[in-house]
Amino acid sequence: MTKFNVGDRVTVRDATSMFHTRTQMYVRGRTGVVVSHRPEWVIPEDEAWGRENGRKEPFYVVRFRQTDLWPSYAGSDVDTLETEESERWLMPAGKEEGQ
Amino acid sequence: MSTTHEHSHAPIQDEDATSEFNVLETAIRELAVEKGLFSAEDHRRFLEWAESRGPAGGSRLVAKAWVDPGFKQRLLSNGTEACKEVGIDWNDPTGKGTPSDYTYFYVLENTPEVHNVIVCTLCSCYPRPVLGMSPAWYRTPNYRRRMVRQPREVLAEFGLDLPLDVAIRVHDSNQKSRFMVMPMRPDGTEGWGEEQLAAIVTRDTMIGVALPQADWKADRSPAETPRSAGR
Amino acid sequence: MSAIAADVEARRVLALRPEPAERLDSPYTISKDLYTALRHVLHDVGGQPDTPVLYTDPKELDWEMRTYVTCECLAWRGHWNAEERRRRENDLGATQYFGLPYYARWATVAAKMLVDKGLVTPDELSAKLDEVRSRRDGS
Repeated sequence: MTKFNVGDRVTVRDATSMFHTRTQMYVRGRTGVVVSHRPEWVIPEDEAWGRENGRKEPFYVVRFRQTDLWPSYAGSDVDTLETEESERWLMPAGKEEGQ
Repeated sequence: MSTTHEHSHAPIQDEDATSEFNVLETAIRELAVEKGLFSAEDHRRFLEWAESRGPAGGSRLVAKAWVDPGFKQRLLSNGTEACKEVGIDWNDPTGKGTPSDYTYFYVLENTPEVHNVIVCTLCSCYPRPVLGMSPAWYRTPNYRRRMVRQPREVLAEFGLDLPLDVAIRVHDSNQKSRFMVMPMRPDGTEGWGEEQLAAIVTRDTMIGVALPQADWKADRSPAETPRSAGR
Repeated sequence: MSAIAADVEARRVLALRPEPAERLDSPYTISKDLYTALRHVLHDVGGQPDTPVLYTDPKELDWEMRTYVTCECLAWRGHWNAEERRRRENDLGATQYFGLPYYARWATVAAKMLVDKGLVTPDELSAKLDEVRSRRDGS
């Protein structure tokens, strides 16, 4: 059961990540669009400590406009970036943390 | 050292540490085998598989997709499955995939509107089963830093200048998915067979830092694209 | 001077700028900003400022291929997994992470993992390194 559908606008949470994460600094707090679902995988925060049977979550491909990611992006307005995040790292766009 | 030259010392040689790394790897492997952590046969089999990987696999996928629209659709909808049609099984050599590259393979189709390019900012995830070992530059922190933020500059350094109305779509391969770019078939290749087409699909065109050229002549392995002028 | 050579010189010059360097030697207290920076997960380099460098593409040396395979075999047979390897590479800290060549990092964390998990004792590892070294040196 996935929380987000393709087409949903999502914001990457800027939650604390001690020691290890695969949620990049450059997408924290940024808003993009879900373009694809990925399988449910064990989250890297668990796998990195050998918990291969750790928490599994749906992962999503999120597409961002480069002009939304970088101050003074020097490329084209139509340029985009896609990357994958687990469900726990995403919230519906426009919500505050905790809503 | 001569006693008459107590204050002069031979300069400390700046030797390459390669030999030390070789010693380290050998030590780890021998201990692992002695302790039964894995067998010498495991290592031999995996090494044989790794050495058999190269960009030719990816080239075959692209060439086949260019001539066979049905295959192209299968490749785009399930990359991992479609690879089997060219003899690449993402479960090899362990039966459940390689520990670093998993079994979730996606092919990214270039169109006149969208040019795809791949990076892994966090480490250097790369689709070894279809492309072989990653280029050394792909693994550098420099490429990892810059490709997500200045893709057009980095592509220009590779000799690739795309118009502003073509969207550059950077894929930061940060989880278990592995990607490969399917470049557009260039003009001037009408009527070509699959083998002839595969020969112009170089490794760099499948990362997204180059475009296939109809007049590409292999004076080296078809897998490598020369760096742009000046390098 | 070519554009690339100009960049190389620019990077060299930047490294020489007489900015007050911040020497970190177990200070009594640090700022919140510094604490945040110190906790940054090392491998997360996407978007950090950097300048063009010459990209080269040497073929893997034999020890590099073997290192890749050794690390994969350790994971294949269940002793660690690739994500753990990557996390352990970060745990090396900035100096070793950026100081060691790519596959030397892999080999270092494989060795450390073996000791960490008690699969090999530090003595065994050191003795084996000495043994392999003397074989190499023909003694």
